[in-house]
Amino acid sequence: MRPQTNRLPATTGKGLAGAHIDRTRPIRFTINGRVTPGFQGDTVLSALLAAGVDTIGTHAGQPLGLRAGAAPAIAYAAKASLPEHALPMERTPARDGAEYRIVAEGPTAGLFARLFQPGRTLGLALDTPNSLVRPWRSIRGEKAEPTDLVVVGGGVAGMAAALAGAHAGLKVKLIEASPHLGGHSGLFGTQDGESTPEENIAALTAEIAVNSTITVLTHAEVFAIGEGVVRVHQLDISGERVESRVVDLPARHIVLATGAFERLPVLPGNRLPGIAGAQEAFELAYRYGIWPGQSWLLATSANPAYRLATLLAESNINLDRILDGRDQASSRYIEFCKAYGFRQFPGTIPLAVMPGAGGRLSVELPHGEPVAVDRLVLCGGWQPDLTLWHLAGGESRWNMRRERLEPLGEVPGLVLAGSAAGHFTRRGCVTSGIHAVDRLLGRPGQGVDDPVIDAFYETPDRQMYVGDSEDAPAPTYLDADNTLMLRPAPPPRRRWTQIFRGSHTGPVRVLSEAPQPLSIGAICAGVSIGLIPPDSAGVVAQERVALVPLTAVVPPQQTTAEYSIGAPPYLADRFGHDAVVATLRHDPSRQLGSGALIFEGEDTLDPRRAVGVVLRTRNGKTEALVAASVRDAVVRDLGQAVPAEVET
Amino acid sequence: MSEAELDFAVFGSSPLAGLIAGLLASRHKRSVFIVGDAQARYRLPRTLDMSVAPITRPETWALLKACLPDISKLVTRIGGRHALRRVDPIFFADGPAAREALGHFSHMARAHGMILETVPPAKIGVDRTALRINDAVTIHRPGFEPAMEAWLGESGVRRLAPEAATMAPGGATAIKAGEEMLIARRAILVDDSAILRSLPGWQWPAQLLRQPHATILTASSRHLAGPIMMQLDSGTILVQHEEGGMAAMGPGGLSAFSGRLATLLAETGQLQQVGQVGYEILMPNDGAPLLGPVASDGPLILTGLGPIGAFLAPALARWLAGEASDDEAEWCEARRPDKRGLGRSVAEFNSRIEEQAA
Repeated sequence: MRPQTNRLPATTGKGLAGAHIDRTRPIRFTINGRVTPGFQGDTVLSALLAAGVDTIGTHAGQPLGLRAGAAPAIAYAAKASLPEHALPMERTPARDGAEYRIVAEGPTAGLFARLFQPGRTLGLALDTPNSLVRPWRSIRGEKAEPTDLVVVGGGVAGMAAALAGAHAGLKVKLIEASPHLGGHSGLFGTQDGESTPEENIAALTAEIAVNSTITVLTHAEVFAIGEGVVRVHQLDISGERVESRVVDLPARHIVLATGAFERLPVLPGNRLPGIAGAQEAFELAYRYGIWPGQSWLLATSANPAYRLATLLAESNINLDRILDGRDQASSRYIEFCKAYGFRQFPGTIPLAVMPGAGGRLSVELPHGEPVAVDRLVLCGGWQPDLTLWHLAGGESRWNMRRERLEPLGEVPGLVLAGSAAGHFTRRGCVTSGIHAVDRLLGRPGQGVDDPVIDAFYETPDRQMYVGDSEDAPAPTYLDADNTLMLRPAPPPRRRWTQIFRGSHTGPVRVLSEAPQPLSIGAICAGVSIGLIPPDSAGVVAQERVALVPLTAVVPPQQTTAEYSIGAPPYLADRFGHDAVVATLRHDPSRQLGSGALIFEGEDTLDPRRAVGVVLRTRNGKTEALVAASVRDAVVRDLGQAVPAEVET
Repeated sequence: MSEAELDFAVFGSSPLAGLIAGLLASRHKRSVFIVGDAQARYRLPRTLDMSVAPITRPETWALLKACLPDISKLVTRIGGRHALRRVDPIFFADGPAAREALGHFSHMARAHGMILETVPPAKIGVDRTALRINDAVTIHRPGFEPAMEAWLGESGVRRLAPEAATMAPGGATAIKAGEEMLIARRAILVDDSAILRSLPGWQWPAQLLRQPHATILTASSRHLAGPIMMQLDSGTILVQHEEGGMAAMGPGGLSAFSGRLATLLAETGQLQQVGQVGYEILMPNDGAPLLGPVASDGPLILTGLGPIGAFLAPALARWLAGEASDDEAEWCEARRPDKRGLGRSVAEFNSRIEEQAA
């Protein structure tokens, strides 16, 4: 059993000791036979990460990092073959004594490999397309009782919307994918005059808990949406075993408070084990007390990532340096980092990341020697999560100034709230949650108060990317999700040796043919590296969202009855205005096929000189369309000439 | 603002539009600009370009056969070997009307030198008639498009955004390009989207129907029986991509087409939609191409050509430039909107699908 090497000490300050785990209640479970320790409150994923398992397997010839956005599904060992029993390891609470198996497409490690695999990896071979499938996406939902308002997303905007709905007399269901309400506002800190995120979340959570008209569904992820209905993959954690089901939840009104996600900077090696986003790194530390390694490097193009550096400043973890893709960024957090004495390199981004010696990462910089660190935090700024909005038919467009995709227009019965709607501050998110309900109910309301600090003081996010290079040392991914979308490669030179190679498993050549959905993160990356024109980003995002049809359409039955008499319209005038449908008398041992051409002599083969055509054989008779004057003819059928007489 | 007058403005982003514009400029020495975005590398396809289609008129086959060597050489010269791919498409039919049409099409194809073979039911499904056509070619749009852009540039064809164009009387068009106003004496609307966007309602030809259509991109665990398959009953086209995905294009709104596709491909395992788009296409009411000016003084349209359109580009360009052979001119003139119904019918096979008059 691997010890929990990546767990921060219980005494770690600044709230990074793991708010969701109970260190007094250790547990252990097995996954594919590997014994893994953890604490009560861990998810299966967090326990694995705490135990130093940070690699899913290999993809495109390199190890691929294990993270919440890209983790294989699991199931209890006895039920692993059935999709309805598959569970997401990032949402599934780890249970003491449980035996899990990994559910993934493609080859998995054999017994020998499982027994002797290096400690960091789950050992999956990920080159099969869509290898990190979510099996429940193919399951039809059970119909649930209708409700008045469904709020998707349990961050501050979603919680505010749920409470506003309840205060308006609506029956509300608040759906949150993670085990806890609160969302992702923790990293972003506090503006003047605000309560802390923790205080704000605690107050909203307490108010929701005592409100009987709000039903909270945690561990529940909405993955499809239609007019007045959402499809939810929901975990039932009440019993000894965690069970799952897929539910179609009808609702009169829907609020999407799906938040914003952190973009993956586009550079070679950007998904190696040991790399995390700033928000992901913060949440692993805050919720589960996880921080791998003793040294790290921060490369960012957004200000909130600097706060992570300040939170860890008093730990024993060494921050090597901070790189910022922006030339002259300003932020209070940047000033705090200067005060802490962190080395900062504005206008600098990593050129590539490679696996280094001793399981470390080797970060290649524009100047000087590569830097070896245990962990690299890569932050490419934030993007509103519009996935469900696009699934619902919503439109979006690229904002050149903000370098992000923003929602556009309206969808009946559905409103965006919070950072998904493009708001920036916690206050903005809370007020937009309330305003969303006002809009759904047709009330004027108070509007949204989003006090964004002037760009002079808080520089906006930028995207981070490096130019294309034919000799990139490691694969470059467009997003950190489970589609494993690689940066498209130029067409290869065809060589005769290719006939000995297996099927192509490297990067796709063009986005339009990629056999996986394009996440919004991939769209943003595509815009930054010039694969998608900014003007088309919105329409491409809408086209390439992974739609799950919610209504089964019964196709019309094929008619097998006699369908027509006479000649079809596409033969009109082919043999003159006066052509007639006639019967051909010919050798009865030959059945003539539809379309066989009829000529007046044996020597003619030019179809433009045909005088008729066989239509069909019906009731043992051959029907043909022939020019009116034709009596004796030759039918050409599959290379044979068949004499025939025309009976009119 | 300065003004410049040119011969043609070609509206469209397909290979057909690009080839027409480039050929008018390079071979026929006309001044041309093209209006539309090149999108094949990031948007889902709405049509495909292939050297065979279920055509049933011998004169169309003859024209296609005559154009094929020239256009194949041109596309290869522009885009290299990757731009033109050899394929053995499968055409299949389920219902009796479509089986009959398949028969007419197959006899016509054989008569024009194509080699066809029957696909066994084990590969295609029982109660289904299917034929594989050997040695067809298809233009790989994402591979061809960047090269076509370069060729257009070399040929002196500028590409302009469609938002800036306005139709003018007499079939002309005006387009603002920076500080310059470009006037084209003749607008040629090629792609369906260009016609839908730019053709005024009062100039709409009565023969031209709008039809809802959809494209769905799927990730499937199994491959299709052929790289390109076309169901004649519905007009659904399935294209297997090298990367493992499959694009399906066919009639109906998005949800209706999704349901039909699930039924059609029930035997190919679980389908996961990884992209989808609904749009309108245009279909002449007799299935034959509509080529020529609309209304008395409207722009020229080239529509209803189906997958073979790009392969007829040299003949179409000659006709537009007034340099067509007698056979080419006769074929094109017979398909003019203003002559439809006055002379001999030129109707072609048309999938039996619900239609909505424009």
